[in-house]
Amino acid sequence: MTCHDVRRRLSPLMDADLALGEMRTVQEHLRECPSCAAELASLRASVEALRSLPRLKLKDSLAVEVRHRIEVESRGPGLALLFRPAWMARPLIFPSLVPAALVLVSILAAVAALDRDPTQVVEHAVAPPAYLAPSGTETNPLFPSEDVSSPQVLTRGDLDGVAWADLPEGSLFVETVVARDGTVSDVTLLQGDSVMARQIMASLRREQFEPGRRRGRPVAVSIYRLISHMEVRASATT
Amino acid sequence: MMATEIALPTDAACGQAAVASRDSAADMALVRACRGGDQAAFTKLVEIHEGLVFNLAVRLLGDGEEARDVSQEVFLQLHRSLPRFEGRSSLRTWIYRIVVNHCRNRQRWWRRRRRDKACALDDISRADEAQLAVRSAGSEDPFAQVARHEREERVRRALDRLSFDHRTILMLKEVEGLSCEEVGEALQLAVGTVKSRLSRAREALRVSLGPWPPEGGRP
Repeated sequence: MTCHDVRRRLSPLMDADLALGEMRTVQEHLRECPSCAAELASLRASVEALRSLPRLKLKDSLAVEVRHRIEVESRGPGLALLFRPAWMARPLIFPSLVPAALVLVSILAAVAALDRDPTQVVEHAVAPPAYLAPSGTETNPLFPSEDVSSPQVLTRGDLDGVAWADLPEGSLFVETVVARDGTVSDVTLLQGDSVMARQIMASLRREQFEPGRRRGRPVAVSIYRLISHMEVRASATT
Repeated sequence: MMATEIALPTDAACGQAAVASRDSAADMALVRACRGGDQAAFTKLVEIHEGLVFNLAVRLLGDGEEARDVSQEVFLQLHRSLPRFEGRSSLRTWIYRIVVNHCRNRQRWWRRRRRDKACALDDISRADEAQLAVRSAGSEDPFAQVARHEREERVRRALDRLSFDHRTILMLKEVEGLSCEEVGEALQLAVGTVKSRLSRAREALRVSLGPWPPEGGRP
């Protein structure tokens, strides 16, 4: 029997769990092999060390606690537990609803902000820049096109009251913004004599129009006009 | 000579068997009383077995509080399943099986939470050990007491390094003194499996413990 065979049998040998013949063979090997004998001694010493560990004991008996828990288990849930309020049954349900409510409020606020009527924008105390105002309003008028009808004059300005005779000859190029209610919201001189323009533009601001429309809704429209003044004299005849 | 030290069944072992048989008869009487609803009998049953339950649990889990908690669970489980106890194995073996199962479950639970390292055997402090151990160290020489503590600490650490299965089989066989058949019943293993696992566990303990007894010390 080799050392390997003997070492495999050391544990059964400790329990006297070997056949008689096998046990004798192992014993003979151990007498002659100090290495295997030392291993058996080491094995026994390890087991003895384990057995020498002190036996641990509870400071207080478990009997009272166990009996109490058995009583609690045998009692069942009880009426107080069965009919407890919902918030006691699920104490975390309300705290968990807070973030959900915040998200909902944020969404509703965003929807309300995006769903405002664009016409209310012009009613702000401080008008937004023209490039931010909705198109079709007085600060950002449209121009006549296929979609936008041109404003039609209802009441002309009092051009007859202008003292034409005192004005020099020339042309004015003006931009008129016709508001959604048909009034003239703005008149701008683009080119021409300012002395001549002063009287004429005051007259143009008093004009009334049928407003331009886009898809049936009145919109502010900008129109450009060229107004010329020239004296016409009869040619001299001889 | 090594061969002369081989332990063979002796009269003392036969005496132990007789005591075990008498204990088993007493246990069965208590079990019958418990089934009849006798709470005092169950209290008596707890008082008789709580020591072995706690000792095994604390060695397997390495934490006094955990072991106390598991011990309570074991007795609750025992109370629930006493009506199903048929007496085919001894009550003690049956209790060992419940303890091992509870400890294994508890260890898995901790491992899932990556805390198995935190409740290693060496976490039982010396103060705990001093409170838990049954001994009268009052008359012991202080140097001998320190040396004994160190030896016990080494053994505890060596035991901690073993796998749960090896620790369990060594505790049941070497410390609790169960036979291979009883260990097989407790762990629900074949006797042959118990013997081979025991052999590997002893070897693992020897390697884990290192040279023993320590240099200049007594075993």
